[in-house]
Amino acid sequence: MMGRTIFIDPGRCIGCQACVSACRECDSHRGKSMIHLDYPDEGHSVASLPTVCMHCEDPVAPCAEVCPADAILVTADGVVQQADTTRCIGCANCVNACPFGVPKIDLQAKLQMKCNLCYDRTAYGLAPMCATVCPTGALFYGTLDELRAERPGVQVADSFTFGDVVVHTGVAMVVPADKVQWPVPGGLPVVEINGRDVR
Amino acid sequence: MTEPPQTAEPTPAPDSPAQGAVQAPAPQTPAAVRRRAVLAGTAVSALLILAIVLGSRLLRDFDSALLPYAVATVFLAFGVAHRYTVWVSAPGARRLFRQGWRSFFSAANFRKAPTALPKMIATYLGFQKFLGARSHARWAAHQLLFWGCVLAALITFPLTWGWFTFTSDTGDGPGYEMRIWGFKILGFDALSVLGWLMFHGLDIAAVLVIAGASYFLWRRMKDRGAITGQRFAYDLIPLIALIVISVTGLLLTFSSIFLHGGGYEFLAILHMVSVVFTLIYIPFGKFFHIVQRPAAVGMQLFKYTSRRKDEELRTCRRCHEPIDTPDYVENLRGTMKDLKLDFDEWAEYCPRCKRVLRGNAYLTHVKKGFK
Amino acid sequence: MTATDPSRALPIDPSVAPPGTRNFRDAGGIPADRWHADQNEETLVPTHCCFCGVQCGMYLRVDRAGKVFGVEPRNHDINRMRLCPKGINAYQQVNHPDRLTSPLMRRNRDEPFREVSWEEALDHTVAEIRRIQGEYGNDAFGLLGGASLYSEKTYLVGKFARVALKSKHVDYNGRLCMVSAAGANKLAFGIDRAGNPFSDILLTDCLLIAGSNVGECFPVMTQYLWGARDRGATLIVVDPRQTAVARTADVHVALKPGTDSAFFNAVLHVIVAEGLTDEAYLAAHTTGWDEVRATVAEYPPSRSASICGVPEEQIVQVARMFAGAGRAMAWHARGVEHHSQGVENCLTIINLCTATGNIGRPGAGYGTITGQGNGQGGREHGQKSDLLPGGRSISDPEHRRQICEIWGIEESELPAAGTSMMEMVWQMQRAEIRGLIGICNNPFVSLPNYATVKEGYDTLQFHAQFDFFLSETAANAHVVFPVTVWAEDEGVMANAEARVVKHNKAQEPPAGVRTDTWVMCELARRLGAGDKFAFPDSRAVFEELRIASAGTVNDYYGITYERLEETGGIAWPCPTTDHPGTPRLFEDGRTYHPDGKIHMQVVEWHPPMDPYSEEYPLSLTTGRTVAHFLSGNQTRRLGALVEQTPRPWVEVHPSHGFRNGDPVRVVTRRGSEVFPALVTEAIRPDTVFVPYHWPVPTAANALTVDALDPRSKIPEYKVCAARIEAAERVDEVPAPPTAPGQLAYPETQVSRTDPLPPTSPQGRGTAERS
Repeated sequence: MMGRTIFIDPGRCIGCQACVSACRECDSHRGKSMIHLDYPDEGHSVASLPTVCMHCEDPVAPCAEVCPADAILVTADGVVQQADTTRCIGCANCVNACPFGVPKIDLQAKLQMKCNLCYDRTAYGLAPMCATVCPTGALFYGTLDELRAERPGVQVADSFTFGDVVVHTGVAMVVPADKVQWPVPGGLPVVEINGRDVR
Repeated sequence: MTEPPQTAEPTPAPDSPAQGAVQAPAPQTPAAVRRRAVLAGTAVSALLILAIVLGSRLLRDFDSALLPYAVATVFLAFGVAHRYTVWVSAPGARRLFRQGWRSFFSAANFRKAPTALPKMIATYLGFQKFLGARSHARWAAHQLLFWGCVLAALITFPLTWGWFTFTSDTGDGPGYEMRIWGFKILGFDALSVLGWLMFHGLDIAAVLVIAGASYFLWRRMKDRGAITGQRFAYDLIPLIALIVISVTGLLLTFSSIFLHGGGYEFLAILHMVSVVFTLIYIPFGKFFHIVQRPAAVGMQLFKYTSRRKDEELRTCRRCHEPIDTPDYVENLRGTMKDLKLDFDEWAEYCPRCKRVLRGNAYLTHVKKGFK
Repeated sequence: MTATDPSRALPIDPSVAPPGTRNFRDAGGIPADRWHADQNEETLVPTHCCFCGVQCGMYLRVDRAGKVFGVEPRNHDINRMRLCPKGINAYQQVNHPDRLTSPLMRRNRDEPFREVSWEEALDHTVAEIRRIQGEYGNDAFGLLGGASLYSEKTYLVGKFARVALKSKHVDYNGRLCMVSAAGANKLAFGIDRAGNPFSDILLTDCLLIAGSNVGECFPVMTQYLWGARDRGATLIVVDPRQTAVARTADVHVALKPGTDSAFFNAVLHVIVAEGLTDEAYLAAHTTGWDEVRATVAEYPPSRSASICGVPEEQIVQVARMFAGAGRAMAWHARGVEHHSQGVENCLTIINLCTATGNIGRPGAGYGTITGQGNGQGGREHGQKSDLLPGGRSISDPEHRRQICEIWGIEESELPAAGTSMMEMVWQMQRAEIRGLIGICNNPFVSLPNYATVKEGYDTLQFHAQFDFFLSETAANAHVVFPVTVWAEDEGVMANAEARVVKHNKAQEPPAGVRTDTWVMCELARRLGAGDKFAFPDSRAVFEELRIASAGTVNDYYGITYERLEETGGIAWPCPTTDHPGTPRLFEDGRTYHPDGKIHMQVVEWHPPMDPYSEEYPLSLTTGRTVAHFLSGNQTRRLGALVEQTPRPWVEVHPSHGFRNGDPVRVVTRRGSEVFPALVTEAIRPDTVFVPYHWPVPTAANALTVDALDPRSKIPEYKVCAARIEAAERVDEVPAPPTAPGQLAYPETQVSRTDPLPPTSPQGRGTAERS
């Protein structure tokens, strides 16, 4: 399952946005940042959450599935690439279907762009820009063994629930030992049952 | 390439408020799709053969030297129709395909905004304004490539099909007549400017294509963005093929003018091989975007139409910021249901709120702090 | 189709996309089309960041034309490839359109600047120095340096003031930053630097962070905090705000600003009461323990809990946690230092470490986190009013003699000790100082009580300023010298660990720009001291600095450029060229006092200088945010950082009844300004916070009090009395000043006028930038 990938630990994140600036320095999309940094506990605490593409494995890349132009390629190493520039028609299906809220879209350029795990760097054995610079290790790139060497006993999870659906991802999140058996909640509030609004 | 999986079973129709919601799609198995694609390919190829036969006045105007080209176009027609059928059978494309055509045939739409569609075609297909937003240099190079290819196709396809003829009463000019399907369209003097243009249209096209393709080739060698994830067969072969076609084409002209036909036969074969290869490659590689690109107009027209119909945009359930038109959101939810992506109601939240809710859920249910 | 046809209003491209997905406007102000990701023939120049005291290693990417165009992480052992957003964007300063490339001059402040030749600017400056010193005496001309300069340049600032200007009035902006810790260190240990390297943090069992927003001000240092916790250490954070490191800390002591010494005295009280002190260590290595013990006896938790506004149990908890740990460590920063008893606050923390025997061992010790890149090095070599190179005292006859010998001047020529930066401003107000050169500082944003500062500078008959961007202060000067950014010259800085690191030159300065070294040497030559300032480059200055520091506590003699490049940094003292440097102090149990003991100091808490009243019931505290650095002259011009945090805000607790984004007027006895409210539970209800990187009318320092610590002369930035009230509209952030005829690079300034507060103190979430 998990090979060399990104491990996200929001508990370590200090919300400094180094990842956001670093993403912009990546040569494959210089000047454009693909990473998201949110402050989900706004007004209560300074907690923050970095979001890179989770590189969904099962179901394989919902963004690629809903794409009407077959523009999103999943390479053999499980990396969900950003839209093929010749094919993407800028419909935003992927933007709104992604359960993690990852893809961005340039409306003028009619082009989707998203994290491709810094393919220009990872293909040469370097870590992605965001995980390289992350001052706290909230974004860590490597194997699970390498992560455990730095953080003894750390546990990770690579599945998320959205209602009844479980999505398995290529990118994993750090979880406490007692939560490792359970998929991480994806955050979808229960407001609709069988298409009926139950709020 | 991961092709989106086909749904094997029918999915129940959403009983959400049907604002332009599309009916559940007809069930289709992969085998059914394949059958239909072969059928479509065969039908389109047969139609093309019929058009060639009729257009060349029962092959009287058909130039047998161009037979390999004509055969390649028939294969091209089969390949494109087949691939197209497979493509539009996938849920995402199928729904958009229907919505696009529905908007296209909408009488109300035509009445209210008759210029919208022509404008969209001009901006997205002709002048490709969106490419300018990606990079001015890429836009310019693509325009060269595009217009070069369009020019070449307009000249060569009818010629190989025997639809165009150039005849001279005197046998070898300078007065020529151009005929389409046997009907005289215009007469011209081969030595005039128009005549020069008529006979050197392909050379002009070749120069445009070489300039454009060379830029892209150079970029694929130098630009790290372009190099990332670049594949030889997908990204480089098409550019090389275009350059080979154009260079050999130009060399043919060079040979006939300056070398008195020296090396003409070899060049002709090389040219033909490269053209045939390219034509047959079109449905399978990067060139398929030529066939796909009109979907951008369909998509835009769909969004435009639904935007005209509904004043209100569908807003995020949590933050109430606009997401897109209601028709679009319903269409996407339909697509997700087709694909058994059963978190389709998540499409009614904006990406930011999805992340914030996930972040909140993590803080509440997984861990709040460091450990 | 008529003009009223609704389809006219609807563009053919009516696409919408949800917020935060649809633009990339945070591209650092440089259009994507102008980035050329051309990978051929780039060189990577190893250097360090120009910003904070962590001094992260980085590579600057230099293209074929020799221009800096990017940054690449560097696996230097300080930062192990990590960088913060400031560091990543730092390179964009180098070829920034706002750079000054010609000297600016005007005869009086009513005129606009005009571009003049270097000759004219230098000659005019020297003529003014001569005139003012001739009329009013040598001390009527002052010099203010900065702690973001390379150590070589800080050495030159001190020497220039004493030898070329022959004035006693020299000081530097580290006076606003690190001097309280320096004073405490000197009193307790006889040496002014952190006791342990960052890497010791990884070995500790209990880490106390006092008054430091590590996550925002020293983001890359956070990896050491987290690394310690991964290995089981507990983390205690003392801060009125729940900062990013405080959020997850084992204990967060959210005390009232200005009560630190009461808190730490009470912690020591509990430690004494519970018998957790290391009596053997105290007996062997300290003086003054009896007096300290007697004093802290007066601070039972019940008393301090009410002073500090924290639960009594928390004081006990912190005491047990810290004293109970095998190895404990304390690091502090401006939060405890920026007070009218800043030195004493630091001393209470030193007392805590000393009483528990946590000094000079791996994973056990004490340190201060310097704010500026060269905050440590900048205070060592003589640009401070009372110090000479090598940390020598200007009042010590023996020290004076040594330096006069090195400099080749008569002892009678060497001026006496001068006054501190804020005091110099008061002297300007009183026209005791009539001329000033400022190098690498921006007091219009960074000094407290702006009205006083402005008046002081306006009273000057002549004011020259060195900078690479036109700062708010430089914009008020008579002469501005355009000088190099850090990447255009080489030199050393000493980081918070007192590790000396080497910065390398990555590109040639733009035409018209000179190094600070060149300008100071040229001025000295024209003032008739050319023979003492024959320095062609930084290396020549460093060679003299090595000699000038040899044999002192701050011994750099064994440090050479070559050794720094080989090792990646050497911690002083380093007396010989085969000495490995001294990363950890006091390992032999001896301090740098003649008796080798730690001199524990008695501290009595007193309330802040700006008294609370019914009119001013709240505490206003100020600080930094992660996207900006100090006075913001650098970072407010970098598009990515402006996008992250476009403007200041006032952080208020929800109990005041404001909603997020409401215009809130913050009123103190010095003035009032309107900021958008960032309503959050992460701050004490009796405290409001404003970040200080912006100029008036959005300057926190228009509100702060210019009360000083009597010993360190540091201003009390971290607490003053205030009230808040509802207002009509927020004050707009002004554009950064630029040379005549120029606009601040517009693409970087797009969000500057955004009236809303950021999502969180760390900045706007990426989706909030539409």
